[in-house]
Amino acid sequence: MMHANLTLALELLPLQLWNTIYMVITSVVLAVLFGLPLGVILTITAKGHIKQHLVVYKILSACINIARSFPFAILLVALIPVTRWVIGTSLGTTAAIVPLTIAAVPFVARLIETSLQEVDRSILEAALVMGSDPWQIISKVLIPEALPSIIAAITLTAVNLIGYSAMAGLVGGGGLGQVAIQYGYHRFNSFIMLTTVILLIILVQLFQWLGDYVANSIAKKRGKSLHV
Amino acid sequence: MYKNVIFSICICVLVLTLSGCKQPDELKVAASAVPHAEMLEHIQPELKQAGIKLTIVVSDDYNMPNRALAEHAVDANFFQHANFLAEQIKQFHYPIESIAKIELEPMGLYSKKVRTIAELQAGAVIAVPNDPTNEARALLLLQQHGLLQLKDPKQALATILDIAQNPHQFKFVEVDTAMLARSLPDVDAAVVNTNYALQANLHPAQDALILEDQQSPYANVLVIRAGDSQRADIQALIKALTSDKMREFILQHYKGAVVPAF
Repeated sequence: MMHANLTLALELLPLQLWNTIYMVITSVVLAVLFGLPLGVILTITAKGHIKQHLVVYKILSACINIARSFPFAILLVALIPVTRWVIGTSLGTTAAIVPLTIAAVPFVARLIETSLQEVDRSILEAALVMGSDPWQIISKVLIPEALPSIIAAITLTAVNLIGYSAMAGLVGGGGLGQVAIQYGYHRFNSFIMLTTVILLIILVQLFQWLGDYVANSIAKKRGKSLHV
Repeated sequence: MYKNVIFSICICVLVLTLSGCKQPDELKVAASAVPHAEMLEHIQPELKQAGIKLTIVVSDDYNMPNRALAEHAVDANFFQHANFLAEQIKQFHYPIESIAKIELEPMGLYSKKVRTIAELQAGAVIAVPNDPTNEARALLLLQQHGLLQLKDPKQALATILDIAQNPHQFKFVEVDTAMLARSLPDVDAAVVNTNYALQANLHPAQDALILEDQQSPYANVLVIRAGDSQRADIQALIKALTSDKMREFILQHYKGAVVPAF
């Protein structure tokens, strides 16, 4: 029995571990690509900021709230036509990246907004006084100042996406989560369940450690310490 | 622990009540609500004419009816397929047996791209369910039509890892059961349960490339205690459940979601 489980684990886990890493990393990169600009827009259009525009702020904010309200399993099904249009199919690991990204974008946007809000107003005012235009303020002041906190936000997103990716099994996306559900839960195979969960724990620890390390080394360079 | 105790008490109460009210000319059959109890209701008048009072005990629990049958609380039950019955007998050693296949909710292979299985190209993508029973059931159907060969040709919990031969190099994708019909545009074919096929406006009899038939081990059976097969009332019950009239009722009433297996 033990031997059979080990064979099964070796047959399933390496490929599915890769599928999880592939899904999560691609979605995080894409989510930051789309989420960062949205976070910046949210920040600077808010009341009292450098480009205050309450209409834009409220519409964007409402859209983000709507997108974040969907339970992920429903989003996965609702986005099938979009996924099919983008990837050409709604099934498989690559197809699962579309709903994962779309679920993560509003989350990233909110986190980035929070990070940018924390940037000291006096630094912004100094930059304004010296005649910086908005683009310079964003690229030279806001983002660099908030970078350690942005890195922490991206780490948080990556860890969250590992959890979301467990549901990719619904659309044949594979990944460790699917193994845990299909073999561990449905088939009462505790060995597979345990091995998968241990792999997921290691993966989460690795992501978190890497994120903390990068955030801290940036903060250290500036002589500040970051509490994470 | 508490759950077990409560469960046992419930069973005892149920068994006592059921056996308590049993009259001599009464035939008690435990069944699931749909379609089994509906089919039994349909033959109630017919059996009444033959002097048999058919009482239907509706239960959507899957463990109670076999136990109630073994303990003489009912005379027959009608809710399960042969594979499930075999599993229950193995586990609980009930002295019960299947006496007739009655109906089947057939699983089928559907496609939006090809019309016959012969048109499936080498390397075609086929979606199958990802839960234990349905996945094995799907693979057994594909095996029956020569599309693949399983390591153990009768394994009731097979997965795509148990495929021994895949002569056409089909690529199998495991998908949630409810997602299969939705995934049809993305695959060459998908094995779909009848209830989901109907919801997706697929008609099993016309649209399926291959469909489970009466030989399927997933046909639902009438189960009685071993040794009761010659009882006159049981014989009358079997006769009524496998009559041409019943065949007509199934075909008209369930419109393909349920088909006769006799």
